[in-house]
Amino acid sequence: MTRKRSASINLSRLRKQFSVKPLALGVASVFISACSDNRQEASIYKDIEDCVSKNPDFAQQCETAYREALVEAERTGPKYNSQRDCEHEFGDNQCRYVERNSGSFFMPFMAGYMLSNLLSPNRYSYQPMFTSYSPYSSYRYRWIGAGGYDYGDLRKRNYRVRPDAFKPKPTVTKTMKRGGFGSTVRAKSSWGSAKKSGWGG
Amino acid sequence: MGKREEKWLGRLDLFRMPCSPRPNWQKKATEFGFKFHTMHGQPYWDESAYYQFTLKQIEQDLEDPTVEIHQMCLDVVDRVVNSEKLLQQFQIPKQYWQMIADSWQAQEPSLYSRLDFCYHGDGPAKLYENNADTPTSLYESGFWQWLWLQDLVDTNQLARNADQFNSLQEKLIHRLADIARYYKVDMLHFSSCKDTDEDRGTVQYLQDCAAEAGLSNPFVYIEDIGIAKEGCFTDLGDNPITTLFKLYPWEFMQREEFGDYIQSSETNWIEPIWKSILSNKALMPMLWKLHKGHPNLLPAYFEDELALASEAKLVKKPIYSREGANISIIENGKTLVEAHGPYGEEGFIYQAYFPLPRFENNHTLIGSWLVDDQAAGISVREDTSEITQDLSRYLPHVILG
Repeated sequence: MTRKRSASINLSRLRKQFSVKPLALGVASVFISACSDNRQEASIYKDIEDCVSKNPDFAQQCETAYREALVEAERTGPKYNSQRDCEHEFGDNQCRYVERNSGSFFMPFMAGYMLSNLLSPNRYSYQPMFTSYSPYSSYRYRWIGAGGYDYGDLRKRNYRVRPDAFKPKPTVTKTMKRGGFGSTVRAKSSWGSAKKSGWGG
Repeated sequence: MGKREEKWLGRLDLFRMPCSPRPNWQKKATEFGFKFHTMHGQPYWDESAYYQFTLKQIEQDLEDPTVEIHQMCLDVVDRVVNSEKLLQQFQIPKQYWQMIADSWQAQEPSLYSRLDFCYHGDGPAKLYENNADTPTSLYESGFWQWLWLQDLVDTNQLARNADQFNSLQEKLIHRLADIARYYKVDMLHFSSCKDTDEDRGTVQYLQDCAAEAGLSNPFVYIEDIGIAKEGCFTDLGDNPITTLFKLYPWEFMQREEFGDYIQSSETNWIEPIWKSILSNKALMPMLWKLHKGHPNLLPAYFEDELALASEAKLVKKPIYSREGANISIIENGKTLVEAHGPYGEEGFIYQAYFPLPRFENNHTLIGSWLVDDQAAGISVREDTSEITQDLSRYLPHVILG
């Protein structure tokens, strides 16, 4: 008999309450917090070996997180149209060519990855890290996140951070006006259907 | 499981089977973020019963007609975009005619639709309407009723071979990936209106499907969308919106202030703008004209051709409307039942009266899903009123036999 329903569904993707959602989606960044209460320990490792040597009992997690961070690095890392632009920011031979469905571009190699909650039974958080060796860049010898956040000197490895939402890359656009969509809903709502639950059908 | 409530509707039938709700289902709903299972103090998700179909009923009476009707609808789009008279009859504002024609010619990809059918368990299902632009109850259909079946099979309350017509989630994930590939993007923005858990939940589900397809999926409320000096739409972080899934009707957007930027923004729209022809009740008389006598269609008429109608009892529907609003049932010119609402200024169409099957006090409507042009599953909704509205309850279904 042919099956008429979805063969399987990734339940963890749809679970909302017990997962730190943005992290599970791999779009979260962790930011250093000056004044938050829910800070957690986070460390930056250059590579798997670095991570395993400091957490010998968590070799598997070190490796998995590294691979996940690589994927995330390619997705959210800074992208440039030319090798020259990329190397200007990150240094000679620090960039690679990436070809995707959406086009081709140059991006820096992942220089390390930040991990927190490695020891927790819940899922760890990870975040790809980049660095620059370019004398022209203010990021030279600094750890930086995909969104351009400066985490400090390359020699610094341990942080107190708080989980935070994904920080979009620096804006390229100036919004002139908002609110030009949605007026019909306001008008139809005032008609008085207090029970209206949505605008789909 | 409980005893069958058999309702003889003509000869054969649908079965509505009473069953015990899972004891932990509300807890589970919280865990999965299903927030709108109860709305305005009324149950919306209802697992105190389920509907049982045979595979033959599903495949012959619902799946095949769904695919066929969708093709007939695409044929209507092709005719309408090439005719000023029809564009006018469909109440499409003139400034969008060219854009709609271009969008159609370019075959901009569609994500999904829901055809609403009246189906009595035997005989042809009759098409009530096509929700081609902003269909909801997607999460309940694609995921929540799937999980319900899985749980009941796992706890031996349903037979191992119980199945469900529901490949929605699988197909949505693939289709979102296809659309991203078509537009050469790896990010889709998602949007719905403020203050509605149901719409937000539907869009969150699509975001989860996009994430599963490896796409990034930022959200922005419809009301928060901005226009940039570069001409594109922006989200609240001032990021350009390249591709936007909007759970917001085209006919609203086309009549609002930012409508003027719909074209110049060069946004990739999901659904594409050619779908505004299908989410329009003028589709129904057009289908009838082109396929008069088709077993899955009800006779339908434009207002100015009402003289052609030989039916004594008709349903009057606004060209643009949502969730049963402003629909009335008319017999020999007299209004019998009327649902109030804020729609109707663009005119009405008339459709032959063909009542929903009844199970005690419940009128049952079948929604049949399409992802792109493939039939992808069904949803079952019940209402105590003959005109199903947005507060009708959602019941799961199974295929057995």
